[in-house]
Amino acid sequence: MELSSVATNGSSQTGGSKTAAAESRRQHAAAKHFQLVRYFSLASLVMFVLVALALTYFESQQSGFFKQVQKEEGDFFKKVQDDFSNQQDAAARRDLLTIHEAGNVNLTRLFANALWEKDFAPFVAKAQDIPVDHCRSITDLKDEKDGKLKPPPEKKACFSEVGKKIMAIKGFADLNSKVYDSMKKSTVFKIKVYDLRGITVYSSENAQIGEDKADNAGWIGAAKEGKAKSELVFRDKFSAFEGTVEKRDLIQSYLPVLQPGSDTIVSVFEIYSDVTPFLDQIKKTAAGIKKTATDNQAKVEQASATNQGKVEDFSTQTLIIVLALMLILFGALFVIVHRADAIIARQETEQQQAQQQLAQAEKMASLGQMVAGVAHQLNTPLAFTHSNVSMAMQAIDGYEKPLKLASGISALVKSAGADQISISLESLKAQASGIEESDLDASMPKEMLSDTLQGIEQMRELVENLRDFTRLDRNKTARFDLNKGLHNVIYIAKSVIPTRIQVVEEFGQLPLIECNVSQINQVFLNLINNAAQAIAGDGTITVRSRMEGNRVRVDVTDTGSGIAADALPHIWENYFTTTASGDGTGLGLPVARTIVEEHGGEISVTETSGAGTTFTVLLPAGA
Amino acid sequence: MSQTKGKVLCVDDEPNILRSLKWMLQKEFEVLTATSGQAGLMLVADHDFDVVISDQRMPGMMGSEFLREVRKRSPRSMRILLTGYSDLQAILRSVNESEVFRFISKPWKIDELPGVVAEAALIAKTQPVPAPIAEAEEAPATVATGVETVLLVDDDSSIFDMLCREVGEQVHVSFAHDLGEAVAAFDREAVGVIVAETRVKGIDMTRMLKLLKQEKPDIVTVVITDKTDAEEVISLINQGQVYRFIPKPVIPAMLKIVVNSARAKRTQLRNAPEIAHRHAVDKISEEARISLAKDIESASHAGGSGGGLMDRVTGGLGHLFGSR
Repeated sequence: MELSSVATNGSSQTGGSKTAAAESRRQHAAAKHFQLVRYFSLASLVMFVLVALALTYFESQQSGFFKQVQKEEGDFFKKVQDDFSNQQDAAARRDLLTIHEAGNVNLTRLFANALWEKDFAPFVAKAQDIPVDHCRSITDLKDEKDGKLKPPPEKKACFSEVGKKIMAIKGFADLNSKVYDSMKKSTVFKIKVYDLRGITVYSSENAQIGEDKADNAGWIGAAKEGKAKSELVFRDKFSAFEGTVEKRDLIQSYLPVLQPGSDTIVSVFEIYSDVTPFLDQIKKTAAGIKKTATDNQAKVEQASATNQGKVEDFSTQTLIIVLALMLILFGALFVIVHRADAIIARQETEQQQAQQQLAQAEKMASLGQMVAGVAHQLNTPLAFTHSNVSMAMQAIDGYEKPLKLASGISALVKSAGADQISISLESLKAQASGIEESDLDASMPKEMLSDTLQGIEQMRELVENLRDFTRLDRNKTARFDLNKGLHNVIYIAKSVIPTRIQVVEEFGQLPLIECNVSQINQVFLNLINNAAQAIAGDGTITVRSRMEGNRVRVDVTDTGSGIAADALPHIWENYFTTTASGDGTGLGLPVARTIVEEHGGEISVTETSGAGTTFTVLLPAGA
Repeated sequence: MSQTKGKVLCVDDEPNILRSLKWMLQKEFEVLTATSGQAGLMLVADHDFDVVISDQRMPGMMGSEFLREVRKRSPRSMRILLTGYSDLQAILRSVNESEVFRFISKPWKIDELPGVVAEAALIAKTQPVPAPIAEAEEAPATVATGVETVLLVDDDSSIFDMLCREVGEQVHVSFAHDLGEAVAAFDREAVGVIVAETRVKGIDMTRMLKLLKQEKPDIVTVVITDKTDAEEVISLINQGQVYRFIPKPVIPAMLKIVVNSARAKRTQLRNAPEIAHRHAVDKISEEARISLAKDIESASHAGGSGGGLMDRVTGGLGHLFGSR
């Protein structure tokens, strides 16, 4: 009762561990399975997004840089144009001034030559005599508006008085009209004449006569240093010979007047000549240039904008093309990877199938070996039983004659009515002549048949062993006496391994174990066959079983050549074989390991050297 | 029953087999049994056996080993190997080492085995014992050089080259590519030793070798084997009394030893033709003989168009199978 409960417990344990092992294997396989398509898609999509972002960033950087460059170029161009236009304007004005100054100098010379000796020299000499110092002595007052010193009205009035005195000089009117006549219809709008004191002794605008210009820079330059000085001025209203004119550009020149025939400065002229048309021309030209510059600038800006647009369009296009190419690339790669994945999957399946086929081949190989062994085992009893039965039949044939004789006599005896019968010895002799003493020995045929029975018993035992051994394709597990199984396996193996090799059984007390019988038999058949292959000549294979903790331990030890050090790491690999090609499938040990591990056990080489090898199998026991 | 046909030793590890053999043979022969090779050899030392029958597969000493020892210690005893398990290597060894007279496969037939044993016993009693032939690289001094031809029948000329290298200086070596050429060679030359493959250009040569031994028992045959099965080797022994087997790939030194040994055997057989009776063979079947004749005919047709060749082949046939 107790035993049975323990056994049940043990069986469930075995089942549990087996399930757990299978589960862990499955998980392992799942972890190992590499999802190629999925990982590829994810990785490449992330990569593509990154590349797209990077491209966009670079394109925008480039676009910004281009914009900056365009702007700088535009600014530079604008500056160049402005400089050019300004320089041109300034040059034109300078030229204008220079030309007119020269004109005014010539004019003054001509004017002086024409009028000085006869008209102006006596006039200026007279005007110079009019005292002005009293007027100059009137101190200037500080203007409240701009803080500059300005002559007070009484000073102006004083000089105005001086002017009136000058105009009162005899010949003034005549002089005035001569000046007017000379300058009529010319570009000269005004002429003023200063004496060497700086007093205006003549002005074509008579009101100005008498004014003091001693502080004027132009007058000082001309009177003291003899330098002509001109400047371009603009007047809203100007009193010219022809009357008052408005909005005029004028060139104002201070010119020293030399004593004819000497370098002595005798007076200073101030001449206003009209350059409005020239200046207008210049202004027009400048405006034209400016307009052209502006137009150019506009064009440049427009071109820049267009270029910018183009560049941006181009980058967008580039971006789109690159993205499209990348998408195509992704698509192509995806197709390739997808197909590769399919091929890998197919190959995996094929490999699995091949492995299954080879495992099946291994099974068939051991089955074939077993069949050969069984055939041989069967052959011996078959040989002698066949021979014995044939001989027994011959012996029975030999009994025919004596039996006939005996039956004849017995019939005769039974049918005889009297106590005595008469027999013809002649006929009996004839019948008995073929009978030999040896033919009548019934003990030998009996022995033959008895041996035959033994032979039949051997065959029966063999068949029984065979039935125990080959529970092929029985996937169900059973409670199994491992020692009995080992004995069976050894019995089968003995018939195929060389007779020089002894197989020793050293079995300890074992509980029944839960296992797949045919698979476990295959494991030990493989191990014993391997052991036999390792033994070249005479040798011994010892199969030892015992309990170790709560596990069953089986050692298969041979006295063979051991496993070479370079072969040892590979013995559990599929298709690894040290036997000549064709002799082994190279699956014996891997298949054995798979089976043992599926039973929740362990298989290992515990000892190997030149003197032999021990394979150890540990299987969980219910006890 | 004091006068028996001979003295027989049976060796098998299975007592039932020994008993059965004894029952079968004891009427005609004096039968002794042993359950191992070692025990058998002890009996051989004390008795003079005409026939020794041994099982091949025994623990300890194998049957072929045992018979090799018997051949050494009692050369006049005829040796029969019982075999239930076809181990080709063991069979080839037994031929080369112990020159067995017959293979008997298990289970035997009770109407045949006694006959074979009787034949062997008769030969042992009546025929002289040949001197042992040393297996040496150099040809024994008794062998005349260059008188007779060693004929090689093979479709692989590399073995011919090897043969010429090894023994070409001492003896004339001929080469036949096929059955037709082989037959022609018999007509042309005095062949003493024939070295042949079991199969040449797809044609089975074993029938020719068997027939040759049957008709000309003094010609020594050596067979080069590759993928020969045990069945074929057994029939070559029982019907062809092949002197030696050379396994492929052929090792030059071995070829030399075997051919020289065969030549010594040939010399022995020629000098004392009665020794050939020790190599008496089972007759080959009539069908095999007919099929061989057909193959020879077709080989000669394929081989040449001229009447000369045909004549040679026919002549060779005549020479070979003179009485027919």
